[in-house]
Amino acid sequence: MQVYLPIAEMSVDGLLLLGIGFGVGWLSGLFGVGGGFLLTPILILIGIPSPVAVASGANQTIGASVSGLMAQWRRGNVDARMGTVLLAGGIIGSGLGVQLFALLRRAGQVDLAVAIFYVVILGTVGALMVRESVRAILRRRRTGVAAARAHEHTWLHGLPFKMRFRKSRLYISVVPPLLVGMGIGVLSAVMGVGGGFMLVPAMIYLLGMPTSVVIGTSLFQVVFVSANVTLLQALQVGSVDIVLTMLLLAGGVVGAQFGASMGAKLRGEETRALLGLLVLSVALGLLYDLVRTPDSLFTIGPVP
Amino acid sequence: MIRAAARGLALLLVLAGPVLAQAPAPAATPAATNTPQLTADLATDRVEITTGFTGSSVMVFGATEHLIGPETGEDVVVVAWGPPQATVVRRKINVLGFWINGPSAVFPEIPGFYAIAATRPVWEILPEDVRRTARLGLEALSLRAEGSQSPAFRAALLDLKQQDGRWQEYAAPVAVAGGRLFSARVSFPDTVQTGPYRIEVMLVRERRIIARQELFLHVDRVGSAASIATVARSTPLLYGVACILLAALAGWLGSVMFRRN
Repeated sequence: MQVYLPIAEMSVDGLLLLGIGFGVGWLSGLFGVGGGFLLTPILILIGIPSPVAVASGANQTIGASVSGLMAQWRRGNVDARMGTVLLAGGIIGSGLGVQLFALLRRAGQVDLAVAIFYVVILGTVGALMVRESVRAILRRRRTGVAAARAHEHTWLHGLPFKMRFRKSRLYISVVPPLLVGMGIGVLSAVMGVGGGFMLVPAMIYLLGMPTSVVIGTSLFQVVFVSANVTLLQALQVGSVDIVLTMLLLAGGVVGAQFGASMGAKLRGEETRALLGLLVLSVALGLLYDLVRTPDSLFTIGPVP
Repeated sequence: MIRAAARGLALLLVLAGPVLAQAPAPAATPAATNTPQLTADLATDRVEITTGFTGSSVMVFGATEHLIGPETGEDVVVVAWGPPQATVVRRKINVLGFWINGPSAVFPEIPGFYAIAATRPVWEILPEDVRRTARLGLEALSLRAEGSQSPAFRAALLDLKQQDGRWQEYAAPVAVAGGRLFSARVSFPDTVQTGPYRIEVMLVRERRIIARQELFLHVDRVGSAASIATVARSTPLLYGVACILLAALAGWLGSVMFRRN
C-alpha cells in the first residue's frame, strides 16, 4: 500500500509505517519515553529526508506520548508541579535548539551533528542506566529487598527558590529541574526526539525522584516540549509531514496501550535495565554507521 | 485525462491516414512545403500527484513525413526536461575513523529531471558539437560546479541521479510503427518535482537536426496532497498548530479506544 507524503515529496509503504509506529508506540508505553530516539533513525534509514524525519518524529511523539500520559495520569503517576517546572525550562531550551539545528543545516553538517549527538548521549545514558539497574537487581537478589534510595545531600540541595513537590516527595530548589528541562529541550530539538529517554534518568539520578512518578511526569514534559518543537519546525524549516505523522500514530496509539499495560507488570529496575539496553544498542548501531566504510563516498541533496 | 487521451487518439488516426495511404509510394518525393516533417504530441499535458502517487509516465507520440530507420537515415530523439534544481554533492572523508561530510560541490543549474530516448543513441547520429549545443545525452549536459572542481563530483552526480531515476539515458525505447509513427514513454519516479516540464522531439537526418517540436506538461499535486502542501507553505503557523492538535487527538482517541484493563 503505497502512500504519497506531500511534504517529503515521495511515496512510501503505508503498512511499513504502521508497523514502525506500532513497534515504537509499544516501547513508548512500556518505558514512558516518546520513542523518538528510535523513530528518527528508523525513518532516516527507510529514506525519509533528515529534516522531515526530525520534524515529523517530534510531531508523532506528541500523539504517542499523549496516550501514554493518559494511561499514567489515570494511575496517578504524574507530578504536574514538577512537570510544569521542567516544561518551563524545556520551552526555552527547544527554542534555542531549533536555532542550532537551522545553523547546522546551513553548515551542511546536520547529519554528522545529529549522529554524534545520538551516539554520545544515547551511549552515555544507556551505559549509566544498565550499570545502575543491574547493580540494583543484583543487590535485591542478594538481600531479598529493594534497597532504599540513599538520600544524599549535595550542593544541589543548597540552592535557593525551594519548592515542595508533594507527589515526588521532594523539597528542592527549582533551579536543577529548570536546567534539566532546558538541556533536554535543546537536545530534543536537535535530535528530533521528545527527550524522555534522557529525562527519565535525569529525574532519577539528578533530581532523585521516585521511579513511580518519573515515567508519567516525563511524558507530561515530553508532550509539551515536542508540541513546541513541532510548531517551531513547521514555522522555520517547514518539514512537518502530517500524513507521515498520522500513519505512524495509527500504529503507535495501539502499541502504546499494549506497552503501558505490560510496563505496569515489570519492576522499576528491570524496566530501566531494558530501556538502558535498548538505548545502548541504538547508540552502538549509529556508531557503527559512522565508522564503517560507506557504500558510496558521495551523497547528493538539494541545496539547503 | 480521458479528454487528453481521446485527443491523442484522434491525432494518431489523423496522422495514420496519410501514412497508410502513402505507404506503397516511394518516399523520394521532395518535402512539400505545407506538410511538416515532424508532428508530435503528448497523451496528457498534466501529471497529477495524488495521495496514492507512486510515479507516473507520459506517452509522447507523433509521425514523420519520411520513413524512420537506418535505410532512410532518419532518427527521432525525445528529450524531457524538468525544472532546474540546485544540487549539492558531498564527499565523505575519514577523520579519526569517522566518516564525515567533507568537501562539496554545488551544481547550481542542472535539471531536476532529464530523460533522453532515441531510435538510435545520439552519439551515433549527431556530431559532438550539435549534441553539446542541444544538450543531448547526459555527457552533453553542462554541469558547471561551484566549490570543488574535481571530476569525481561530476561523475558521482551523474551516477546518483541515474540511480534514483531522475536522470535517464535510453531507459525506454522510441518505438516505431509503420515506418512513420513513433512513440516513447517518459517515466517519472515518485520523487518527481512539481512544476513545468518541457519535452523536445527532434528529427535527425545526415547528422543534423532537421526539425524539432517542443511540448509542455505540468506536474502538480492534486487533492489532499496539494492542499496539505499549500497550507504548510502559506500558513505554517496554522499548519503547525493543526499538526499538534491532530497528533494529540489521535493519541487521545487511541487511549480511549484501545484502553486495556
